[in-house]
Amino acid sequence: MFSQILWWIVSATEAFVLVRSGKAKLYGKYPAFYLYLSTVFFLEVVRFSIFHFRPISYPAFYWYTEFLAASVGYAVILEIYKHALKSSPGAARIARTFLLVVLGAVILKVMANALSSPVWSPATTSAELERSLRTVQALLLFGIVALLAYYWVPIGRNLKGITLGYGFYICASVMSLAFGSLPGYGLRPAWRFVQPIAYLVALFIWSLALWSYQPNPEAETESQIELDYRFLVNKTKRVLSRAQSFLKLDGEL
Amino acid sequence: MIQLLLPYLGIGLLLLAALCLWARQSFVTRAGRAELLTPRQHRLGLGRTAPHRDLGERIFGPEDWDFISHDTPSEIQRMFQRERTVLAISWLRRTRKRVSQVMRAHVAGAQQSKDLHLATEIRLAVSYFLFLILCNSLIGWVWLHGPVRTRKIVGQILQWAAQLRGAFEQLMARVDPASCRVTGTNFNHETARN
Repeated sequence: MFSQILWWIVSATEAFVLVRSGKAKLYGKYPAFYLYLSTVFFLEVVRFSIFHFRPISYPAFYWYTEFLAASVGYAVILEIYKHALKSSPGAARIARTFLLVVLGAVILKVMANALSSPVWSPATTSAELERSLRTVQALLLFGIVALLAYYWVPIGRNLKGITLGYGFYICASVMSLAFGSLPGYGLRPAWRFVQPIAYLVALFIWSLALWSYQPNPEAETESQIELDYRFLVNKTKRVLSRAQSFLKLDGEL
Repeated sequence: MIQLLLPYLGIGLLLLAALCLWARQSFVTRAGRAELLTPRQHRLGLGRTAPHRDLGERIFGPEDWDFISHDTPSEIQRMFQRERTVLAISWLRRTRKRVSQVMRAHVAGAQQSKDLHLATEIRLAVSYFLFLILCNSLIGWVWLHGPVRTRKIVGQILQWAAQLRGAFEQLMARVDPASCRVTGTNFNHETARN
C-alpha cells in the first residue's frame, strides 16, 4: 500500500516538474537534465504497466531499466559540470584533471576485475552494478561540489537545485545499495523505500529550484593584474607564510 | 562483511558532507562575496602587518607577565591572566580572519585564471588548512591555559619536535647516507640543540 502511494506521489511530482519545465522554457536550457527526468518518468510508467499486466516479468525488467536510469544519470553530472564551471576556467581545469583521474581509476579497476576473475561478469547482480555506477557518480559529484565550494563559484538557483537534489539522491542510493547488497538485508522491506523517498526529496527540491529560469550570475570582471596568476599566488604565499611566522613568533613561541 | 560496506558508506558520507558545506556556504554567499571584495579594496592595507605583529609579540611576550608576577598581589595576577587570555584569543581570531579573507580573494581570482597550476593550488590549500589547524589549536590552548603557559608549552613542543627530527636525521644518516645528504640540507641543527 505504502509503495503504491509513494509511486503515485513520485510520478505526479515528476510530471509536475516536466510540465513546469515546458511552461518556464527550461527544457532547452538544461537538456541533459530533462532527458534524464523524462527517461526516468517514461520508465516508471512502463514499469507500472508491466507490474499490473505481466507481474512475472517485473523484477527482471526493473533491474535492467534501473541500470539504464543510472547510466543516463551521467548526463546530469555533465550538465552540472558544463554550466557550473563555464565562467571559471581555472576551476574547470582542475575538474577536468579530477574527472580524468576518476575515469582512469574506473578503467583500471574494471581491467583488474577482468584479469583476476576466471569467469568475469560486469557485476554479480544488477544491484551491485548499479551500486558501482552510482558510486562513480558520487565521486564525480563530490569533486565538482568540492570545487564549487572551495572556489566560491557563483551559480544560479536552477543549477544549485539540480546539484543538491541529484547529489542527495546519489548519496542515499550509494548507501542504501551498499546495505541492500548485504546477505539477508535485501529481504528487509524497509531499505527498498530509501531510494524512492530520497528521489521524492530530490523531486521536491527540483520543483522549487526549477520554477523559473535563473541563469548563473555573471562573474565579476577582474583587472589584468588580478588575473595574473603568478602575482596572485605570490601574494597569497607571502601572507600565509607571514601569518604562520606570527603564530610561531619566529620560532620563539 | 561490514568492511565491504565501508568504502561505499565513506563515499556517501563524503558527498553528503560536501553538499551540506556547499549548501551552508550558499546561504551566506552574499556575505562571502562581500568579504571577497574587502581585501581587494584594501589591498594596500594587507602589507601593513608590522603593528599587528608587534601586538602579537606583546600579547604573548613574557615582559608584562614578568613585571606583574614580581610586584603585584595574586588577585591582580589572575585579573591580568584573564584579560590577556581574552586579548590573545581576539588577536588569534583576527589573524585567522585576515588570512581567510586573503585566501578567499586568492580563490576568487584563481578560479578565473586560465594558467592555474594544480600543484601550486594544492600546496597553498594544504598550507592554509595547516595554518587554520595551528590557529584553532592555539586558540584552544590559550583558552585552557592562558597565553603565558601556552607560550611555554608550545615552545617545549617545538623543541621536542626539533630533537625528534634531529634523532630521525641521525638514524637516516646511518641507514641511508646518500639520501641524508639531501634531507640534511633542510635540517636546522641549531634548533635541535636548543
